[in-house]
Amino acid sequence: MSLEIAWLGLLGLMLAGYFVLGGYDYGAQMLHPFLRDEHEESKPEKASGGNAALDAIAPFFLGNEVWLVAFAGVMFGAFPHLEGTLLSGLYPLIVAILAGLVLGNAAVQLRRRARGVRGRRAWDALIVFGGAVPALCWGLVVGLLLHGVPRRADGSFHIGFGEVFTPFVLVCGIATILLFAAHGAGFVALRSERETAAKARELGGKLLLGAGAAAVVALLLTFVGSGASMTNRGVSGVIAGALVVALGVAWWSFTGGHEVRAFVATCCATALPVLLVGAGHYPYLLISSAGHGLDIHDAVTDDATLKILSVFGVLVVPTILAYQAWSWWAFRGRTGLRHPSYF
Amino acid sequence: MSAAELARLQFAATTGIHWLFVILTMGLVPLVAFMHTRAAYTRDPAKKAVRERMTRFWGQLYVINYAVGIVTGLVMEFQFGLSWSGLSKFAGNVFGAPLALETLIAFFAESTFLGMWIFGWGRLRRGVHVTLIWLVCLTAYASAYWILIANGFMQHPVGYEVRGGVAYLTDFGALLTNEMSLTALGHIVLAALTTGGLFVAGVSCFHFLRGTKETELFRSSLRLGTWVAMLASFFVVVVGELQRPIIERTQPMKNAVLDNSGVAEVQRRLVEQFGPGDYVPPQGWIHLSMNAMTLIGNTISTITFIAVFLLWKDRLVRWRPMAWLMVAVIPFAFVASVAGWVVREMGRQPWIVYGHLTVEDALSHVSRASLIASCTVFIAIFVGLAVTNWTLITRFAVRGPDATQLGVTEPLAEALPEQPTGGSEDKQPVPAF
Repeated sequence: MSLEIAWLGLLGLMLAGYFVLGGYDYGAQMLHPFLRDEHEESKPEKASGGNAALDAIAPFFLGNEVWLVAFAGVMFGAFPHLEGTLLSGLYPLIVAILAGLVLGNAAVQLRRRARGVRGRRAWDALIVFGGAVPALCWGLVVGLLLHGVPRRADGSFHIGFGEVFTPFVLVCGIATILLFAAHGAGFVALRSERETAAKARELGGKLLLGAGAAAVVALLLTFVGSGASMTNRGVSGVIAGALVVALGVAWWSFTGGHEVRAFVATCCATALPVLLVGAGHYPYLLISSAGHGLDIHDAVTDDATLKILSVFGVLVVPTILAYQAWSWWAFRGRTGLRHPSYF
Repeated sequence: MSAAELARLQFAATTGIHWLFVILTMGLVPLVAFMHTRAAYTRDPAKKAVRERMTRFWGQLYVINYAVGIVTGLVMEFQFGLSWSGLSKFAGNVFGAPLALETLIAFFAESTFLGMWIFGWGRLRRGVHVTLIWLVCLTAYASAYWILIANGFMQHPVGYEVRGGVAYLTDFGALLTNEMSLTALGHIVLAALTTGGLFVAGVSCFHFLRGTKETELFRSSLRLGTWVAMLASFFVVVVGELQRPIIERTQPMKNAVLDNSGVAEVQRRLVEQFGPGDYVPPQGWIHLSMNAMTLIGNTISTITFIAVFLLWKDRLVRWRPMAWLMVAVIPFAFVASVAGWVVREMGRQPWIVYGHLTVEDALSHVSRASLIASCTVFIAIFVGLAVTNWTLITRFAVRGPDATQLGVTEPLAEALPEQPTGGSEDKQPVPAF
């Protein structure tokens, strides 16, 4: 396996990690007004504004968002030529994602510092906004990358309303926002007290039906030729099939009350779109709507730089995975017992 | 405004506001880590309780401040690709590596460990919990190192060669030991410690002025803050001066502007070297910023030097004008540090990579309309968040240790039998005095 493929794999791992971990954050953020623990209304903690969904994600929240930063960092380090083209090309969407992210992220951290109920309501609205906007926009980005972007002769591209407001891209956006919401529900179901968990399971099942329906529409659009135009049809078919299976298993587990299985399935479903973009287009990282596009050799950094980065990567990546796993283990179990709440 | 000016404004606003939170993060985290260590290993239960309250009080202010630091940091990571794709085209092979390593080695760990520290009160073993805050501190400083390696390359490129209009990395060691990076790192680390020390000392003075009952907590904080600020502010001036000979060697134009002599002569030489163009950075801004930084730096150094002597027998807080001065001086440290960045970054204009690529040439092909929209969105959000965050920091600083929410374990936990995962040390009952 060559170094550049290993780094492409790492880039994919970072983005997939972000979709899985950031995805449940966004889901829990979007659903948090609907997942209040009813017992809390009468408890004194209500005055301090505790919320079951936010308590569920709290200890992992700061460690989840950084997967996106690491994705950007790896892209800049290993694929600088992709970074410059991709981010400036997707300018409006990236700005929207960042704006949502900044507001939502700050709101989650500062919500409990608000003095009164009104202040907290304002933060609550920002928390929902900051979950919904990135989730929707990442879906649009995935849709655009699957479909191809309008590259010019010099390799740069710009997206406008015409590219984003196509049925396929919009359907991808809707599928992603619903999927992230369901995934968040799955996480809350796993971490909250029984009653909240039951409510989250019910919500998750309904949301998955919506996500599944949108995904089927996206597939149909692809079959009639106005959807994704994949480079590797066979591989893409297998991954798309796996995605449908994951959605099905997740729905079945939600309705059957199997929380762990449901969450594992939604994890797969949120990670698979990244694999679909990567493996489905390989060796291209960006495809053009008219013909081929930017391939891995155009995008990758110089060999000497890649070797140096690899020395660090071999040491650092396992370390990252180890301490992230440690943090998941340290805060395992349902919230409420010996879990200090702060966010 | 032209597209280039808008993109510069957007970048400057993001970096500038990010920095205002970073400097306090870097200044407070070692102090919080020190307080936490001392609290964790104190035996006397009454003293231990005070020191733990102290850690949680300052720790919470640090964590509130961190919220805006991390979100602006997220945006920073994307700024280069959004508006300066020319930079990644020319220098991506060299410049991308330190940024990638910063995210993987430092940012990732800092954020994960901080999350664990915030939620680890009463849940993690004492030694582990203290280690976490030191790891947060270490990675915060590692982050500063890698960012300054990237910044140093823009100021004074080293360890590379240009082939076919693209820079290639040839000497990684040279890149990592760039003198332009290391002296600046020393300067900003000391500036951050000065700011952190002043913040702790000033807030403590405020509580004494209001007749706090928590005298032991705030006396101890005041001592720590004043000593740190005094030592750091003395050396920040010294290390700042160390940068001048390097600037003289590597950036003749910045040097000429700072000396206010020979600007026309250097302009003529640069035209000979790089072709026609305006190589003079905005002189008014640089002079103003340099003067502000120098004046504030020396004033802070003097005030804290006097303050250290006044710590004896609490004279510092008994002499009210001096105590108010310690409160009033807090914002000036932030002003001085931003002024320092203005000198460094404006003084490098028109270059984005000194001597190779100009800011104009590095601009992405993004339309002016998109830039106006994104600039407005980002600046509105960042200014709004910064003001909100400072209001919250002030409110919690003023309310004092009683209002601390960080590390408050739920009453439920007390009633339960000991769980195998928690440390028993943290749960000892504290006699009330």
